[in-house]
Amino acid sequence: MNSKLKKYYPLLPVCVAYLILFLVGRNVTGIWQLVSTLLFYCALGQAFNIFLGMTGYVDFGYVAFLGVGTYGMATAVTGLAGYEGLGVGVIVIGFALAVIMATLLSMAVGAVALRLRGAYFAIATIGVNEGFRYLIEGANLWNGSSGMIFTAELNQILGRDLAGRVMTFWADILVLIIGVAAAVVTLLYMNSKIGYALTALREDEDAAKVMGIHVTKFKIIAFITSASFAGMVGAASWALKTPYVFPPEVFEIHYTIEAIIIVMLGGAGTLMGPLVGALIYGVSKYYLSIFLPGFQLFIFALVIIVIIVLFPEGVVGVLKGKTRNNRLKQLIL
Amino acid sequence: MSLLRLENVTKQFGGLVAVNNVSFEIKEGEFLGIVGTNGSGKTTLFNVINGVFFPEQGRVFFNDMDITRTPSYKRAPLGIGRTFQIPRPFASATVRENIAVGAMFGTMGKQLNVDQSLEVADHVIERMGLGKHRLKSAGLLTPVEKKLMEIGRALAMRPRLLLMDEAMAGMHPNDIDDMVEMIISIGKEENIAIVAMVEHIMRAVVGMAEKLIVLDQGEKIVDAPTDEALADSRVVDAYLGKSGETKDA
Repeated sequence: MNSKLKKYYPLLPVCVAYLILFLVGRNVTGIWQLVSTLLFYCALGQAFNIFLGMTGYVDFGYVAFLGVGTYGMATAVTGLAGYEGLGVGVIVIGFALAVIMATLLSMAVGAVALRLRGAYFAIATIGVNEGFRYLIEGANLWNGSSGMIFTAELNQILGRDLAGRVMTFWADILVLIIGVAAAVVTLLYMNSKIGYALTALREDEDAAKVMGIHVTKFKIIAFITSASFAGMVGAASWALKTPYVFPPEVFEIHYTIEAIIIVMLGGAGTLMGPLVGALIYGVSKYYLSIFLPGFQLFIFALVIIVIIVLFPEGVVGVLKGKTRNNRLKQLIL
Repeated sequence: MSLLRLENVTKQFGGLVAVNNVSFEIKEGEFLGIVGTNGSGKTTLFNVINGVFFPEQGRVFFNDMDITRTPSYKRAPLGIGRTFQIPRPFASATVRENIAVGAMFGTMGKQLNVDQSLEVADHVIERMGLGKHRLKSAGLLTPVEKKLMEIGRALAMRPRLLLMDEAMAGMHPNDIDDMVEMIISIGKEENIAIVAMVEHIMRAVVGMAEKLIVLDQGEKIVDAPTDEALADSRVVDAYLGKSGETKDA
């Protein structure tokens, strides 16, 4: 029993970090905006890590899953605006739709692209994001390039007061919950055969196959899981927080790049990594934009090069190596 | 009954015939040596048995089941294990995790959960004498340790057939003797047929093999009990050139 419980110890620092983030946000005036951004980065990194970190495959079209998630919530809210009795139920339906849409897109992309190896996969995914955006604009799906604005509908269903609180507070809390849930799923995967299979295929795909691992199956599992969390992050952080959606904004590739930086910086494939990466990245981006406006991207380019050359395993990867022989080791994963 | 049977297998890469019309069979628990010089088609033959490549012609049977076009990840659970010429550990994982992967997806894979697989790994680690490296990242092992770990990983699959690609290359002769002895004793205990492939006629491997298959330029030139095979003039020719050839040149 005790050893079973021990497997979940690494969740402790994750939860503590989120708790501190929450308490700081609630008790320090004027900081909720920053905390909200950090929560977004944490959840984004945590979700992306399930794919990038665990499989070692880089998906340059990742933001598309946040995009369709945003559209999922938007569609639910606009479509159900007449049913005022639904109340908060509309958010639940919105999340379900976001997950379904992100899952469908990831299955379509994964079924084709995941048969490709490493760099070829990365190249194939670059097109997905742009292609999907132009499909929405060109085929005039979901109002095409004029986007969807659904503040009024949200007000109508939830009532003005509650809608306001959802936008300014509860949306962020939902992002926090999604981040924690993504961490829990990551740990469950790590402790199961899925995690072992993913580690094996990340390290040596051919050897993994010979060992009896159906590599495509496990890559698709990781891809779909990661994508559905991304859909939820989009639905919460983009659709509920700012109830409008325009294709150029939700299919903006720099979010993918940010996700990659966060995961690499913190430690790809580790449980704590995305959280640590998100906090370092988010805080430094915030202060850089105040003190050195315009230079953030330049500085991050340098930071990334330094990380990849000096400690490719990321902050948590290094910590893991250092704590291998002491009592902290069961907390760091 | 034969465990593995190849019937007229041919594998080509463009114009190059890497394996040409090769047939042979191996019985349960047998120790077979495949010998051949560099480029004679040994590794390709392994890749065909293993499902990495599918042959253009011919058939492969395992336990009388046609596996000619069965993907490699489905062959491992049937009982075909393999080690590589250059060890391919899952570098970031520990030795224990590496070996557990073998148990998890091998012939017992369906019955074993993660914890049970880790237990299997611990037994194998003891057996392979890797105890003090149990929790080390596999990438940090020495080449010989990596080799041992890879054999352990394959044994944890509980295979019926173990393919060993140049398993002893680059090892000290004393280590080779020990290792071959250990592998054979495990093979006998667990009734695993072993196909060991070597480039040179190595005393240790060849001496203990019950049967030898000699490949030359993709073709099987000899398939006989070890003593006979070694005395065969074609084997000598394949390794040293035909007698008289050097004089003519």
